[in-house]
Amino acid sequence: MALEIHPLEQFHIERLIPIHIGGLDVSYTNSALLMTVAVVLITALLVLGTRKRALVPGHWQSLAEMSYEFVADMVETNVGHGGREFFPFVFTLFMFILFANFLGMIPYAYTVTSQIVVTFALAAVVFIGVTIIGIVRHGFRFLRLFVPQGVPAPLLLLLVPIELLSYFIRPFTLAIRLFANMLAGHTMLAIFAGFAASIGLLGVLPLGIDILLVALEVLVAALQAYVFAILTCLYLSDAIHLH
Amino acid sequence: MSDGRPTDPLARLGEEIDKARAQRVRAQPVAAERSNLQQGLGLGFRIGIELVVAVAVATGLGWAIDRWLGTRPWGMIVLFFLGVAAGMLNVYRAVNRISGAAGYRKPGETAAATNKWDDEDS
Repeated sequence: MALEIHPLEQFHIERLIPIHIGGLDVSYTNSALLMTVAVVLITALLVLGTRKRALVPGHWQSLAEMSYEFVADMVETNVGHGGREFFPFVFTLFMFILFANFLGMIPYAYTVTSQIVVTFALAAVVFIGVTIIGIVRHGFRFLRLFVPQGVPAPLLLLLVPIELLSYFIRPFTLAIRLFANMLAGHTMLAIFAGFAASIGLLGVLPLGIDILLVALEVLVAALQAYVFAILTCLYLSDAIHLH
Repeated sequence: MSDGRPTDPLARLGEEIDKARAQRVRAQPVAAERSNLQQGLGLGFRIGIELVVAVAVATGLGWAIDRWLGTRPWGMIVLFFLGVAAGMLNVYRAVNRISGAAGYRKPGETAAATNKWDDEDS
């Protein structure tokens, strides 16, 4: 009678096609499958949507154009001058996270961004990329980033470590924010769904909460993609417009 | 061409789009409010985790340094406080919209806007 609830089971990685190369496990997993689906869908939306090149866009074309304009706007206002060249990167990042989050909302689909390995890899790419761009653009002057201006020398002894720390914490906050939000949200959904299934008629109540939670999760899915992309923009802006 | 409108359908469409745009600008307050809400939500989700992660990562780093150099518990204590400071700094900057790290300004921000620091010192 007792229905067992496993709210964390949904995050289990399954090997769909086991592949082992030189002792490395590079199996094609359910996580990789959802990533593939995300990439295929994004490509399909953008390529097929804009195929007609209609002057008055149809549904799909305006969806593609809207996402383009949204990110272009974001890059324009947050990176400003010289941000154009980073648009493809930010756009790719935003679309991938957005689609991964939304695909995760489909029941029984795997949520790619609920694995910290995935989010940390994305955050590390941003962090390392931004640092390299900063060093290439400004050389040694990039290190002035860690030395606040107009501060007496003795105080620098305290402030430079703080600034260093606050810089190197960036990839962690970026990764943990996305991962924690997705993990917590989906765990909560599963727990309430488990309640609903196990307490019979009264289960209508947790079911109702679950429906509201799904709405919240859709919001969070879009918002987290937005936050990730906008922070990437802000970090890029820091690296480009060094004072 | 007698009514002053271009006969070319493309030009006419352009005209119509311009008119619709002008109308949208008039309805701007609503749009601005909505983008404000969006930015507020984004900011809220952003800073919530900033402080926690800063403290956790810094303390973890301190613990690792202690293990490595055998300086327990000093590394952890010092880095804990530095982490708190760094976290607060990050939150402060996020709220102030002076994005990332140290001593520089948002593009377009005037020197006068950031000068308030100097004023407070004197």
